[in-house]
Amino acid sequence: MKTLGIVRRRRRLPHAPSSTLEDDGQHPNGGSETIIELERVFQHVNGRCALNDLSLRVHRGESLLLLGPNGAGKSLSLRLMLGLDRPSAGRVHLFGEDLTRLGDAPMNRLRPRVGAMVQGGSLLEELSVLENLLLPLRPRPLAHTQRARAVRLVVTQLQLDGMEHRYPRALSLGQRRRAELARALINRPELLLCDGLSDGLDRPALRDILEILRVLRESQGLTLVATENDLLDLVGPEDRVAVLDRGRLLFDGSRATLEARTETDLELRTILEGHP
Amino acid sequence: MAKRSTQRATHLRLGRLQRIGLAGLTLKLCAQLYLDIVRGRAQLDLPAFAAALRQAGLSVLPALSLVAAAAGFILGHQASQILANIDLPRAILVPLIYAVVMELIPLLVGVLVAGRAGVALATRQAALISSGQVDGLLVSGLNPIQFTTGPVLPAMLAMSFALAVWGSLVALGAALAWLVVFADVPPYLFRDALRQALGPSTIAEALSKPLIFALLIALIATSQGIAAGRDVAGIGRAATDTMIGAVTAILLIDLAFVLSPWS
Repeated sequence: MKTLGIVRRRRRLPHAPSSTLEDDGQHPNGGSETIIELERVFQHVNGRCALNDLSLRVHRGESLLLLGPNGAGKSLSLRLMLGLDRPSAGRVHLFGEDLTRLGDAPMNRLRPRVGAMVQGGSLLEELSVLENLLLPLRPRPLAHTQRARAVRLVVTQLQLDGMEHRYPRALSLGQRRRAELARALINRPELLLCDGLSDGLDRPALRDILEILRVLRESQGLTLVATENDLLDLVGPEDRVAVLDRGRLLFDGSRATLEARTETDLELRTILEGHP
Repeated sequence: MAKRSTQRATHLRLGRLQRIGLAGLTLKLCAQLYLDIVRGRAQLDLPAFAAALRQAGLSVLPALSLVAAAAGFILGHQASQILANIDLPRAILVPLIYAVVMELIPLLVGVLVAGRAGVALATRQAALISSGQVDGLLVSGLNPIQFTTGPVLPAMLAMSFALAVWGSLVALGAALAWLVVFADVPPYLFRDALRQALGPSTIAEALSKPLIFALLIALIATSQGIAAGRDVAGIGRAATDTMIGAVTAILLIDLAFVLSPWS
């Protein structure tokens, strides 16, 4: 079984710094450097509390799968991590920088270190795939050959050969997602945030992408945060999983622990399996 | 900070003052972009600029020509009716010319540019947000204004100016043709009235109006597009609100021009 390939080489820390609700202290933490930290975050959307006292830490080289039903607050959490929104209360740190106080210029300096696949079709419709791939390189003073090399690398990795000059509307949903992932990876980011990783992808395509991410993790130490409604069978037993529901963090730990917990925890089982 | 503030505004139901603030923010971001272009740090999106030129100019040209010619004929006809009763050609021709160049054509250009380029800009802005394309640009470290108002604003300014000149020529030509053919007004009389009505300051004011209107339309369209929110229904709302807001703003600004002490 393919997995996110995340935790095999990680050592466990006895006192996980990700002090979260329901955390049994056994979720694996990789490196010591905290890449993302959500600190007692509240987010109100249209008068509704969409994130309720959420605290979460992601360390370098680690990967985290955010699970939960629609409206659980997964995408919202990711948007906060990306600095696209600001929390109603609480702090969001990315690479040690407080995003709630960060201006545009320092934020833009952080951008190349973060790759992101956001929900919906984030490819610009009037640009070809190639032009879309080049977008994150625009702010950087790179030589033409460097740009060409970067494009060639992600095009080959994501099997987009022959599609460079097509426009997004001519691509299938799976091809669009691959192009979005290629754009997210073109800057060789340290952190990759994927909202709805499997959206539009069939199982073989998803397995291919997970394999690419596994290689990147092993070769570049990529830190990964992904959201899904339900992807447990693609996660290894040691992989870190966080379960959200109605803005609350219900669980943060390894998949194996989660599975053990769902045997006894009715609420978790209802959320993950759709029935008690 | 400003860029992300623009994005965050999509979550809010914006009041009038907030929309004005958003328009101000757009203006600031556009100014920054043009400054960066001048310094060689950014590039104008030329395909988007060319598309905006077509949208704000060429696609409006047939309608403007037709309406300006029709207005010229109507005013020429009305003037000839009055001239049949009152033999004071200059007293009639001077206000006619003044009204065409100072009021009718700038307003006409403003309304047509708002209906075509303004609505297109608002719907594009709203569509970019609702589809997630703005998020894609933001996470790529790019200012979305480069792909929306940035290239559209200069195109709207240039084409509004050109359309105002063209529309005035067509309307005055049509009025002159009617008066010469049906009211036997000698062309020199019309030429004299033209000189009397249009001094350099009048021409400058008449040509500056469409520029101000274009700027207003672009800012209103952008703020309405952003304020439309993430739902698809917001796209239609942005188009309607842009048209209503732009026409209202154009008329109010024109009133301010008329009432201003230098006018």
